[in-house]
Amino acid sequence: MDMRAPANANAVTPRNRRRLPVGGWELALTGLLAAVVVGFGAAAPGFYTGPASLLGLTENFLPFGLVALGLSLVILTGGIDLSVGAVASLSAVLAAQLWSRFGVDIWAAAAVGVALGGVLGLVNAGVILRLGIEPLIATLGTSFLYGSAAVAAAGAEPPSGFPGGFTALGTGTVDGVLPASLAGLVPIQLVVFAAFAVLFSALVARSPFGRVLVMVGYSPDAARYSGIRTGRVLVTAYAVSGAMASLAGLVLASYYDAVRPDMGDVLLLTAITMVVLGGVSIFGGEGTVAGVVVSVLVLGFLRQGMLIAGFSDMVTTMLTGAILLASIAVKNLFNRRGTGLANQIWAMIRRPEPPRANPS
Amino acid sequence: MSAAAARSPAASRPSWRERRELVLVAVTAASAGVVGLVNPGFLTFENLRFVALNSVVLSIVALGQTLVIAMRGIDLSVAPLMGLSAMVCGLLAQSHGLPLWGAVGIALALGLALGTLNGVLVAALNIPPIITTLGTYSLFGGLTFLYSDGTQVDQVPPAYAAFGNAGPLGLPVPTPVLVLVLVTAACWFALNHSRFGRAVLAVGNNAAAAYNAGLRVTAIRIQVYALSGLLACFSGLVFVCYTGSATVTTGTGDHVELQSIAVALVGGTLIAGGRANVVGTVLASLFLSTVLTALVFLQVPPIWYSAGEGLMILVAVRGGTRRAGGTA
Repeated sequence: MDMRAPANANAVTPRNRRRLPVGGWELALTGLLAAVVVGFGAAAPGFYTGPASLLGLTENFLPFGLVALGLSLVILTGGIDLSVGAVASLSAVLAAQLWSRFGVDIWAAAAVGVALGGVLGLVNAGVILRLGIEPLIATLGTSFLYGSAAVAAAGAEPPSGFPGGFTALGTGTVDGVLPASLAGLVPIQLVVFAAFAVLFSALVARSPFGRVLVMVGYSPDAARYSGIRTGRVLVTAYAVSGAMASLAGLVLASYYDAVRPDMGDVLLLTAITMVVLGGVSIFGGEGTVAGVVVSVLVLGFLRQGMLIAGFSDMVTTMLTGAILLASIAVKNLFNRRGTGLANQIWAMIRRPEPPRANPS
Repeated sequence: MSAAAARSPAASRPSWRERRELVLVAVTAASAGVVGLVNPGFLTFENLRFVALNSVVLSIVALGQTLVIAMRGIDLSVAPLMGLSAMVCGLLAQSHGLPLWGAVGIALALGLALGTLNGVLVAALNIPPIITTLGTYSLFGGLTFLYSDGTQVDQVPPAYAAFGNAGPLGLPVPTPVLVLVLVTAACWFALNHSRFGRAVLAVGNNAAAAYNAGLRVTAIRIQVYALSGLLACFSGLVFVCYTGSATVTTGTGDHVELQSIAVALVGGTLIAGGRANVVGTVLASLFLSTVLTALVFLQVPPIWYSAGEGLMILVAVRGGTRRAGGTA
């Protein structure tokens, strides 16, 4: 079980080098993913009508996954970024306006959008570090600011009707590169997500930066005393989170072929759920990107399956919330060392454990 | 940790508190005065009455939030709770003629039950408050949706409308304002002059120390979340009485959870816990109501309202804590 291993589990020993970055939680999630896909495939007509349809379903939820990847870096440091939704909206709206008002090439505008997301992330980090405001409150405040700016930038009639090449980002499939038998099968979104998933997983599990990132989250003081420039690590994490959020916003813009100033609002709650369900501790210093990737797929397919099975959007959201709570509760129950579930419950009833020093 | 270290000893506490409340009163009065000079309509009795009445719903939610934050927690689920209570009470009144006292009972029971659920998840199952209330946010929002079944409240019985807008016994002060004064007084007394309040602040300051000192930390946590739920649901009832309407987005649509956190912090409650200012919360909510109404009078485009709220949060919290990369 990796879940309770300290940060030094990432220390470079020959044994760790060979090991895949997965533990019990990731395996449990993978089992859950298989159960969800097979279950809905059997029970909900229309969920599985061939491999293309199954892969096509991912287009509906991968923007959430992109946000979750960036957010997982921030949460690994022990912080949080509540501004991802507003960042996604603002960068998508501004990129679309650059394209429609100023005639900038759509791809150049999109690149500016992603860069802007990074800058907004830098602003978040600046507010947190320079003003000494807790991440939760800092990003809450900036999310209001960015949200207002998005509404102002969108104007009365936000742009829509992007060129075909750009809409392919959200709805197209990869053709030409792959063998002809796979034509029309693999969504571009899936390739983009997979590339970032591999990149982020390597970054967190294999790179010096990842080790430092986890260490800062595990114990900021220890990290500082061992000579790590914790400020830089945080700045990078928030900038990456902002850039990933705006990438998600642009994919959404491409998917809907339009922008709206509130289009990113839906991203936040689900993305946090994905990160936390993926096994990343909300206190930082613990978790893997692999877990987040699997939980993106679990929650995404679950949501799509329920929608196809005829449940309303709200009921689906409600169930997502319940799953989040149940999974953390179960994890907490099993996570304490040495004893089984029944013993734990009995111990909880008889003698409550002393609470953490600083539960927030 | 370092937040506690940065806090000066008890001696500086009263002066700091007094200043925060005085500043809020001064800023509110000054902004009302300035807007009154530009547009005399702002300072009429009718409008000031509206400003006060308009702040009541948020104030009641924010009082619960203040208690939770004082305990170093956070409650995001207040917004859907407020909406759920407004929907349940409103629909029962609209289509089944539920009497007002019945609605009060239902709102309080609902808030107590669902708030306790939050508390049990946080305190007994050790789920971090932000995750817990994020999860119950979706749950309670879903309940509202299921209960409303596509309908909405657009008319409430006269007794409700009278409770929400008129004053009792022909007084010029609306009933909700009087209720708010009572609730504020109760919260103030509970937090500053009761054993319970000291326990809440102790848990917020250092939960482990509070536990070692013999406080029943789990029970206190559950009670505070229950109180927050209770106040949120009660404010939902006040909302439906005052506006005569409720939809599935009541509460969540206006981001009451974020607003309540904002006014609690602006009022002088520390996000790191251990210090709360009940009166400050209410004054901050009154300030927000004044500013929002003033913006309408000054014909500022509504899109910038939430930017103003965001700035308000950042400015208010600046200097409150000095802590980089802390826990969420």
